[in-house]
Amino acid sequence: MTELLRADQLTRHFKIGNALSRRTLHAVDDVSFTIGEREIVALAGESGSGKSTIARLLARIYSPTSGTITFAGRDVKTFRSRKDHLRYSSEVPMVFQDPFASINPVFRVSHGVLRSLKLHRPELSGAERQAEAARVFEVVGLKPDMLQRFPYELSGGQRQRVGFAQALAMKPKLILADEPVSMLDVSIRIGLLNLMAKLRDSEGVSILYITHDIASARYVADRLIVMYAGQIAEQGPIEDVLSAPKHPYTQLLLSAVPDPKAPLSDVADRGEPPRVVDPTPGCRFRWRCPLAIDTCQTVTPVLADLATGHEVACHVAQSGAEVTAFLKDAS
Amino acid sequence: MPELLDVQGLCVDYVLPRGAVRAVDDVSFTVDRGEFLAIVGESGCGKSTLLFAVAQLLAPPAEVTAGTVTFAGANLVGLTDRELAGVRWRNMSVVMQSAMNALNPVKSIGAQFKDALVAHGVKDKSQIRAKSAEVLKMVGIDPIHLGSYPHQLSGGMRQRSMIAMAMLFTPDLIIMDEPTSALDVVAQRALMVQIKELQREFGFAIIFVTHDMSLVSHFSDRLMVMYAGQVDELAGTRTTFERPRHPYTRGLLEAFPSIRGPKTPLRGIPGNPPDLATPPAGCRFHPRCPYVVDMCKTKEPELYPLSKEGYPADDVLVRCLRIADGSLT
Repeated sequence: MTELLRADQLTRHFKIGNALSRRTLHAVDDVSFTIGEREIVALAGESGSGKSTIARLLARIYSPTSGTITFAGRDVKTFRSRKDHLRYSSEVPMVFQDPFASINPVFRVSHGVLRSLKLHRPELSGAERQAEAARVFEVVGLKPDMLQRFPYELSGGQRQRVGFAQALAMKPKLILADEPVSMLDVSIRIGLLNLMAKLRDSEGVSILYITHDIASARYVADRLIVMYAGQIAEQGPIEDVLSAPKHPYTQLLLSAVPDPKAPLSDVADRGEPPRVVDPTPGCRFRWRCPLAIDTCQTVTPVLADLATGHEVACHVAQSGAEVTAFLKDAS
Repeated sequence: MPELLDVQGLCVDYVLPRGAVRAVDDVSFTVDRGEFLAIVGESGCGKSTLLFAVAQLLAPPAEVTAGTVTFAGANLVGLTDRELAGVRWRNMSVVMQSAMNALNPVKSIGAQFKDALVAHGVKDKSQIRAKSAEVLKMVGIDPIHLGSYPHQLSGGMRQRSMIAMAMLFTPDLIIMDEPTSALDVVAQRALMVQIKELQREFGFAIIFVTHDMSLVSHFSDRLMVMYAGQVDELAGTRTTFERPRHPYTRGLLEAFPSIRGPKTPLRGIPGNPPDLATPPAGCRFHPRCPYVVDMCKTKEPELYPLSKEGYPADDVLVRCLRIADGSLT
């Protein structure tokens, strides 16, 4: 698979506190991953694990504290001209979580689509812009006459489709979708997930799908990255990770997914996500991990290949021992 | 065992200038002592309005226009706030959806517990302190956090302290409106397990509203599925998961991707829930129903008891014409 985007040792810290108590929040720490062409990569983890910070780093809303982002072979830090910046933001658009807050309520929904077409594809004439807006609406499963509607006239699912249509109008290569279905009703979600798969298959778009819902990630994504406390705990082809999770946190996450078809597991975890303020070396999961050994207290684990493309940051798993911390019987 | 709560023919209208919109339409159900009833439905199906009507917390323009809510033998509909005050907190309490918004951000947790206790007649300071510490311990939070403010707690701890607050007087019924929806899966699961443990220990009944059916699959005794203001299906939770009857319930269950087993393409439920100001004629689900036939478009189905195939009568209630006449199994 051709590589589209590469993040290398991406780090983003936030300064918190006042002059007397300067502290640093490590939102994202030393994170490296790639996204290929025509690939949906799911980024999963609990709230506060740094998923949204990664999306904002990739969208260049935040600049990284250190580390590099390489897009289509070019380091984004070297972008200087307005043309470069515009081009990147049109090729890597975002779709937001809340479809009620992310569309301007006083304009017809055509407004957002036409405006981005005018800005990012100035070569199109007025008539061509209208035709293109109608085309992207059809791709996302909306009737072109919906372009003349106001946001309040649309349901949540339809608005989220408008969000994808706006992104699609810019001829994107990579869509950053931050929890795009979590605010939608269960019966509507599947339609949006199917749309994401369709965008990959027929429009050739890659998607970074940020979610805390592992089941929906499995449904659409090719690869899975599991984040914990600002670092990658495990990543790999999604079926490999889900059928043989190696990191104790991934196992905990999987055991917590409500599944009416499986018996209730008796995993007892009352742990709280750590606050990553001025962290000390050592595995950040060690306080919740039943397998923690001495090394985990002092040495921060780094990602290492356990199988082809399946990387885990866990001392116990890397030592070759079998990790069955929170594993349910795979039935 | 006598029923704790008996809701009969409850209707709630939002009275708007352009006419009344019926958000809850002729809903009847009962809750026994110590029972866990889950209410499931999409946004706008009237599940939260129903909860508010049961707790008598509706504010204009919403009002109860018909029906009764009998709690421990007394009809709550039409009681004044003064009369309700004796029931609220002591016998029935409510856990709201978003703890961040339901807790007062400028008061410590302990001060908020104290407010509730004082308002219901507990004046003794040492008693207040002891009781507050006790309920906080019950939900697994160190009583030291009585001095903490909501922003100093994690989402899971905030939600747990809301539940602790609801248990101050060990009520007979706790009503919960999506208490886990703001939490991630791990915290959500821990909270569900804890709610169930507390229920086992203290024996209160729970009405639990959620949009996520799979969440309650292992926890609730009975499951009530609502669609467009009406009850579509009411049955034992395991019964419904093993054999969903109403086409809407089937659709909801099939809309969940699974983390195990073969990957199959899913369709979800096409279309959108109806506008309650102009509900479709006949069965309210017919425009989205894959099993629709002509009669569904004109005849309004009732909630039928299914007594076939070894089910005792009244165990499964379902609102579907085709299931009632046996043409859909």
